[in-house]
Amino acid sequence: MNKTPRKHERNRESTKTNAYFFVSSKISCLRGNPFTETPKKIDLKEWSRQFQKLDTDFINQFYYYKNNDWGRYLFPPATFMVYGARQLKHLKFDNSLASLRLWGFSFNESERLFRAKQSNRKVIATMGDLGTVPIIVMAFPGCIPFYPDCTWWTPFFNESNVLLDRASEMGVPEASCFVRSALAAFDKKAYFPKPDLLFASTGASCDDYSCIMQMVENFGHNITWLEMPYRRHSAKYLVSDKYQTTNQGLEYPERFEDYLVTEYKKVWDKMAELTGINDIELLEQSIKKTNRLRRLIEKIKKLTYQAEIAPFPALEMMVIEFGNLYGYADIDEWLDICETVYETIQERVKKGIGVLKPDAIPIAWVMPTANPILLNLVEDLGGRVVATEYVINQALVEIEQNIEPFRALARSFLNASLIGSTEERVRRIKEKVEQGKVKGVIITNMLGASHCAMETKLIEQMLKDVPVLSIDVPAPLGITEQLKTRLSAFMETLK
Amino acid sequence: MKEILTPRERFGLLVIDEKPDRCNIIPLVTSHSAKVKGVKLRDYYTDGEIMARAQIAAIEEYGHDAISIFSEVGIIAEAMGSEFDYPEDDLPVLKKPILAETNIDDISIPNPEKDKRLPVYFEAIEYAYQALGDKLPILAYVPAPFTTGMMLSEADKFLIQTIKEPEYIKKVLKKSAEAAIEFCYHIINAGGLPILVDPLASSSVISPKTYKEFALPYERAVIDFLHRYDLDVILHICGNTTPILDLLPETHADLISIDRVELKTVLEKLSKHLRIIGNYDTSKLLFSSKENIANEVKNMVKLGMTAPKGYIASTGCEVPTNATKENVKAFIKAAKEANYL
Repeated sequence: MNKTPRKHERNRESTKTNAYFFVSSKISCLRGNPFTETPKKIDLKEWSRQFQKLDTDFINQFYYYKNNDWGRYLFPPATFMVYGARQLKHLKFDNSLASLRLWGFSFNESERLFRAKQSNRKVIATMGDLGTVPIIVMAFPGCIPFYPDCTWWTPFFNESNVLLDRASEMGVPEASCFVRSALAAFDKKAYFPKPDLLFASTGASCDDYSCIMQMVENFGHNITWLEMPYRRHSAKYLVSDKYQTTNQGLEYPERFEDYLVTEYKKVWDKMAELTGINDIELLEQSIKKTNRLRRLIEKIKKLTYQAEIAPFPALEMMVIEFGNLYGYADIDEWLDICETVYETIQERVKKGIGVLKPDAIPIAWVMPTANPILLNLVEDLGGRVVATEYVINQALVEIEQNIEPFRALARSFLNASLIGSTEERVRRIKEKVEQGKVKGVIITNMLGASHCAMETKLIEQMLKDVPVLSIDVPAPLGITEQLKTRLSAFMETLK
Repeated sequence: MKEILTPRERFGLLVIDEKPDRCNIIPLVTSHSAKVKGVKLRDYYTDGEIMARAQIAAIEEYGHDAISIFSEVGIIAEAMGSEFDYPEDDLPVLKKPILAETNIDDISIPNPEKDKRLPVYFEAIEYAYQALGDKLPILAYVPAPFTTGMMLSEADKFLIQTIKEPEYIKKVLKKSAEAAIEFCYHIINAGGLPILVDPLASSSVISPKTYKEFALPYERAVIDFLHRYDLDVILHICGNTTPILDLLPETHADLISIDRVELKTVLEKLSKHLRIIGNYDTSKLLFSSKENIANEVKNMVKLGMTAPKGYIASTGCEVPTNATKENVKAFIKAAKEANYL
């Protein structure tokens, strides 16, 4: 998630609070969770009230890039609203310290990227493949991967058409996916610094996105392209093909694996050229760290989605799931945050408490919603997300550690939803429906994203045993009463 | 020239040490906007929606880089009990300071959501934020404790008390700081970025020694509170501040807005560590010619842009209510042109 950048380097001394004036409740336990209230979803003002309870020394414990001079990020939603994230005024958030860290950290990303560049780190744009190229980038010390594509959330969090309008001026109008905001962000140079290298996948990838990246290249950025093969199992390309199966049980022609290895080596060589480092052991370590994160997220998902009462809200869960792609540009701190999230969820599950009513209706969510407020709305209407298909499943599975690392990455990527059939995408949700664990499915389409228009109908047909609501997510500020009524009516039918 | 960045993006780049397309141009267009909109000043400072609409009209007219929510520096003191007159077409005037008859111990911290004209601010901030908050920063000017303290009291008595009853004055200032912090807290939650203004702490009014003992610690307390929220804090002090320039970093402010000081001196002393805002002579917006304004502003901006931590082209104080639109436009046009040279 990107935001308008904030803050300048500030002497840490200057942030010391004059406790004389306003600190009413001193926090004695600095490292622990100071918020002991019952779990609930709270709005921005309530978060500010909670934040007031924190001692400044407590706030100063949390910083990115292990830099406690300028890397602090533990700030409430109000901070980011002041700097333009207008939707925060309307969202509801989990009331735990884990949530505060998660939001502060993810909203801080734009600033973090500028700071990375200013502190002589290499900032690498990894676009489109969603989850694999960053592992290679992170293997190189001082190299920070990020996804310009994720700028697609910015217009929604800012409730603003600034980026989308600029993209239109540049020749990509509203008939295209919201990812066009990335093109405007490249142009404005105000959302992330100029990347030291750009990698973009094409081939079996979102076509609107690929077009946008072509335009980014046209505007003078030097992009290294990676070709993504289409994985297919129901009909064979070549009779001579030998087939393999991913660790998620998906079949693919063996030669695709070899092909991807070549593509990833191309990324490695570019990175080696940039940094002057060429140590394959570093890639193995990067895979290990990534696996640690992926295992943790899997545990968080399982615990949250299978608990009697929802221990954590769907919106925060989406932020957590997407953190798997690249650790929001600081994987070490992100891992620490996810540990806190896991501890919080464990504690809540143990106590049998949560953020939603026990009788909340279990639903599955297909496609990440461009507009985060929809996740809030569905929960307000009595729903509870218990399964997701956010087209990033390749970033959620463990990578093999006992084989050659590029091959391991290739095998892992061949799990990707984006390069497979619709049938494979809905397989897991279908299983949950059959087990009676999902009562309804919501598909949030991206207006203008060409694959959505075709795939939604197919998904609806494949999930014919369960009510399905398909929504075209409108542009920022476009959530209408009509859309709310549709959501409300859908939730009513599930009750 | 068509500009690609919005003012919010431009301001965002400034505060993260990145060079924007041009410097931010934020003249202190406050009550002057009432004239632009053609509304009476009394309506402007008593009705938040009118204040916001006037600010938006000024933005549309001039194309500068921020909304400025401000009436006058008595607003907190009034909420604490001082009485003000509201002339129909002039700013509020202190009529009866509360400390003339009441002890500071009997004065409570105002509730910004309810007391006197404080809610006008929130109404204005929320309206402006909803209308333009994605494109422009919404700056909300907050009187600093020393200035509020003087508006709670009779000015001459207050200054004498700093010598004769310093502990009592510190009590007044502490309460004023608490009130300012409470006000800031609500401003943040409405979407505004508080700016601290301390015109009565100017060296034109008090000595550096008095500033150091009675103004600076309380400015710093408010600024430190805002830093807890990671906000970049502007401190504006009117008039001559040359004698206290060396003290200003101790306030912990991130951006210093100056008035009647040599810009060159300020750049030499402060610009390595602080961003500088200023400081065109506002009287010239009333009495000078467009051509003269253009020349002087260009020179000022060229000099200001040498500041290593960044610079905002501004006026030294509020744009006079009766300044002509042509002169304000000349200021802004020249500042933009100087950037592109």
